[in-house]
Amino acid sequence: MAVSDNGGKMLLHKKNAVITGCAHGIGKAILELFAENGANIWACAHTKTDEFEAMTRSLSEQYHVEIRPLYFDLHDQEQVKSAAKSITSQKLQVDILVNNAGITYNALFLMSSMEKMREVFEINFFAPFLFSQYIAKAMMKQRKGSIIHISSSAGIDGNAGRSVYGASKAAVICATKAMAAELGESGVRVNSIAPGITRTTMLSSMTEKVIEETILQTAMKRMGNPDDIAKAVLFLASDMSSYVTGQVIRVDGGM
Amino acid sequence: MQMLLKGKNAVITGSLKGIGLSTVDLFARNGANIWACAQYQDAAFESHIRELSAENNVWIKPLYFDLLDPEKIKSAYQEIRESKERVDILVNIAGMTHDALFHMTTMEQMKKVFEVNFFSQMLLTQYITKIMMRNKAGSVINISSISAIDGNPGQLAYTASKAAIIGATKTLSAELAGYGIRVNAIAPGVIDTEMTKNLPADVLKRLMGKSDLKHLGLPSEVAGVILFLASDMSSYMTGQVLRVDGGIG
Repeated sequence: MAVSDNGGKMLLHKKNAVITGCAHGIGKAILELFAENGANIWACAHTKTDEFEAMTRSLSEQYHVEIRPLYFDLHDQEQVKSAAKSITSQKLQVDILVNNAGITYNALFLMSSMEKMREVFEINFFAPFLFSQYIAKAMMKQRKGSIIHISSSAGIDGNAGRSVYGASKAAVICATKAMAAELGESGVRVNSIAPGITRTTMLSSMTEKVIEETILQTAMKRMGNPDDIAKAVLFLASDMSSYVTGQVIRVDGGM
Repeated sequence: MQMLLKGKNAVITGSLKGIGLSTVDLFARNGANIWACAQYQDAAFESHIRELSAENNVWIKPLYFDLLDPEKIKSAYQEIRESKERVDILVNIAGMTHDALFHMTTMEQMKKVFEVNFFSQMLLTQYITKIMMRNKAGSVINISSISAIDGNPGQLAYTASKAAIIGATKTLSAELAGYGIRVNAIAPGVIDTEMTKNLPADVLKRLMGKSDLKHLGLPSEVAGVILFLASDMSSYMTGQVLRVDGGIG
């Protein structure tokens, strides 16, 4: 869906965006929708694969936008830093940052290992936090920018078996609000999307029964698609949301 | 590329000025046909919507009724129903403020504020969603206020009526989801409209200081979020209250 809010330009015409976790799921849907809407993109992924390279090439040809793949491991602070620096050193305006990459972990509280807890926080919180520090600095200099974190309804509701994952996403929500307060004066907006149950590979960590029960809890009685989430991210990235900051927007079919 | 509301039909109340007028403008530019509802007939408004509809190749029909009069609301609904057109979107924008401390608020005033800000909107929504239910699709957008969530001294009747809107939004979203109708609300902060023009300068300054962006919102910025909720961009969202406040609290 390429859209325009004024019947003229595409929503992200000539904007430059950084998106993490582009290889599959929600990140891939965001990448496709942003390209379709005219954005040039630094498409970040964990590993270089022929498939990913081919996908970014074909998107770039199809929509006449520049897509630069960027590979780094969120487990490694040094890699996160040098990736951020490789973006900011290009002297291009960075209009949008979408911190999408993350990992899931389902385990009862008493069964959750400290090791896993540290890993989940490393990937879901510390790494995007560090990455954002560099990108936000560039945005503050431009006096304009939009940062979107992907949180989760689990970070608001607290679900059995998700104490670690939910807590890491709750940390993201709090950081969203604090960053919005700190960066607002510099014209940088910071918001977060909290998806509900969404059709991605993350679902494989849930049992069939839990998935069915969760769908029944939604008003719409269906699972979300990656594209449903990507469209809300597009809204927050674009000027349609120019007076929205510090918000956590649930995209969950009504839970 | 497509416009966000190409071929959709929308009912918008409070169309004469402020957020309502901005919404009419933005919807028309995005290809929507509109029943533009207002309290009274206005020549400048009529010529504006005539131009707008010609420029954007859409129809815009003015509909005049007073929200204090349930009979007039009903006849407005009948006019819409008799047109046999689909109704895809309902935006309840019309509303009134009332500034008075709790102990100084008369029951009469309180009831009037609830009549305009809540009962009349529920009545119109009952009528319009009946049409939407037949199509198994629709999006309803209610306008609440951040003061309904945060409270605001001196605005008891207004804030309570806007809080009622939030409760109704959540319950309605659950009741109507089975018919493919989404129901969401927007909670604007301090927006540059006639409603906020009367705020004392020191109050305005205090509110601006509390917002992250440190400036007033424009009606067009609220309209942008209404457009998002009206369009397919928010296809998996219902029962939500979105703050459009530049980051207050």
